[in-house]
Amino acid sequence: MLGLFKRATPVADACELGRTAVALPLYSGCGMPPGCPVVVVDARGCTRRPAPAKRIELREGELAFAFHPGPYTVDLQPFAQAPEIGLRTSFAIDCADPNAAHHRFDLYLASEVAGRLGLDALAGAVEAALQRELREGGLALPPCATIEEWNAFRLGLNQLLYMRFGLTVDDCVPVDLGASRDYAAMLAARVQACPTQAAAAPARVCAFDAAEPTLVDARALRRLFLELPGVMCGLRLAALPSSPEQFRQQQALLQRLDLLCVGASTMPALGLAAPGQPLHIDEQLRRARHSRRATASLDEAWALLARLKGANPELLAPLYDDCDRIVANLETDCEGRRCARVEEAA
Amino acid sequence: MSAECRSILADGSLLTVTATRRPRAGRADVKCQAPGDARLLERMQEVVRLARHTETRFDSRDQVVISIDRVPGALERDWELAVVLADRLARGLWQGPHGPVVANGWSDAWHLGRIEGHAVRDAPVGTLLGGADGLAHLGQLSGHPDRAASVSSARAWFPLHAGGAADSLCWVEVGVHPLAHDPADEEQTITVPGQDAARQLAVRQALAGAREFDGRGAGRWRTTVRFGDTGFQGRSFELALVLADRMARGREFLPRARLIATGQSQAWHAGRVDTVEGLEAKCALLLREAAPGDRILLPQAWQAALPEGFAEGLRALGASVACVERIGMI
Repeated sequence: MLGLFKRATPVADACELGRTAVALPLYSGCGMPPGCPVVVVDARGCTRRPAPAKRIELREGELAFAFHPGPYTVDLQPFAQAPEIGLRTSFAIDCADPNAAHHRFDLYLASEVAGRLGLDALAGAVEAALQRELREGGLALPPCATIEEWNAFRLGLNQLLYMRFGLTVDDCVPVDLGASRDYAAMLAARVQACPTQAAAAPARVCAFDAAEPTLVDARALRRLFLELPGVMCGLRLAALPSSPEQFRQQQALLQRLDLLCVGASTMPALGLAAPGQPLHIDEQLRRARHSRRATASLDEAWALLARLKGANPELLAPLYDDCDRIVANLETDCEGRRCARVEEAA
Repeated sequence: MSAECRSILADGSLLTVTATRRPRAGRADVKCQAPGDARLLERMQEVVRLARHTETRFDSRDQVVISIDRVPGALERDWELAVVLADRLARGLWQGPHGPVVANGWSDAWHLGRIEGHAVRDAPVGTLLGGADGLAHLGQLSGHPDRAASVSSARAWFPLHAGGAADSLCWVEVGVHPLAHDPADEEQTITVPGQDAARQLAVRQALAGAREFDGRGAGRWRTTVRFGDTGFQGRSFELALVLADRMARGREFLPRARLIATGQSQAWHAGRVDTVEGLEAKCALLLREAAPGDRILLPQAWQAALPEGFAEGLRALGASVACVERIGMI
């Protein structure tokens, strides 16, 4: 059989798209769900959006996703310590121009999503980016915010979500989440879970070491490999220097990022100290820790690009300094990931 | 950039921790120096690194050198808080009070930012003491609730006007515990230890009124209110108290650092903020005390009378100011 007359297989769970799922993986021979753009990621991580067809044909090593452009509405919690106040945010995925060369959302799918992207997973990632930016001071949402402060926050939020995830914010309003999230009940549950005074530790630190280091490391390296060129491109476009001094700074930063790109694509395997020589598991964990920290720096870099985009030329200096810090952190972590063992220098 | 922090040893003498920030140049992120004691040195390094887990901003360009000028006894651990604070002071993450910082506290959970206790007895007033009755976690330095504790408590600061040189900021802390069942009277669930009857009544009425305005505040919490200082007059602490209560109950946005507020009200049940006395003196004090990330809230009536360049001065310090007519959003 040539397979010429084979029917297109329907996508599993396609009716979830646009409700609980934002993007679903497609396999070769699947039909394209109607109204949902398709993103194909090739073996090198480049993305393209194929023209609508009856069914999708993939080459060796290619992945495909179908996503629903939205709009979606989620409740974000801007501060971890204030669960009863939230931001009801509705956003859509930008897909107006199918011929545009690069969509940030496609890059997000290619570098960070493995398999299905649920709405809750995307909302969690958005919330984490928002909380981090508020803690760092990139965005400000102080108590009794005035209307100007709120507008400034909204602008910053729009920029952040567009730069980091390729999402366009349609609407964002503060809401009282007291009806669905009862802080008193949450605190009472903490007492029950841990009757002695101290309560449950934030699970972040412990969860990592238990997880498979190989997987964490591979994902982190994929992100570095795919996103560093994007960051460089963004830095070139977003941070137009306002003086010769800043121009030199920008050139130096771009050069260092270029070296980092090369470094990320030639990273040694996690489990090998030298060819044919296995590495101790503690050192593997250390390496994986470094690569995970490098992805945290990548998150910071995207957030910084969002701030650079709308920045006043007079306020560029501290942002350039922050950029220098992020690049220095990336260099430290890539170096840590590369070397097989570290000697503590004084 | 260099900073100092002191701590009281068991024999009553003072130990000084000095932290200096310098370019890293390929060296370790933290370097500790202790006179001839390898065990102490190792513990210092561990404490500093663990406490840094609670920070979001990581900067690999700096090395912080921390040295301790005398060796505490083998079982003493009260110096740990001083080391952590010196590390933060040197990097400008925390602006301490004017004058030397004296801090005592130890912990087994520095990576969560908790401080579990202190060993020193009858320390002088002004000493930062770790533990449940003092500084329970590092976020409390800027008044934030601990995100993993089973009691939520938040602090806000208010300016005290005592005639010029003695002006200072005083904190009010609101701690809330969940209540098992609905109380008959909201005001009975609010306790204000160590204050006279008139102050207790004022606190209870302000909180009960503001919770009525809030809508979801009443009948859910057992509340403890503490003040950093007792010898003050007037009711200008009310706005700080009400906002600390909202932050503790998880119903208010958080400032990046401290919340400093002055204001009172005849009608908290409507959320209104009325004016208070002492504009010039308080504004001068705020300009002296504000630190990066602080949020300053003043009554709306002050807007027109604010001194020239006040808002710009605060913005230059990294703080933000707003004059509010009522509490809550926008």
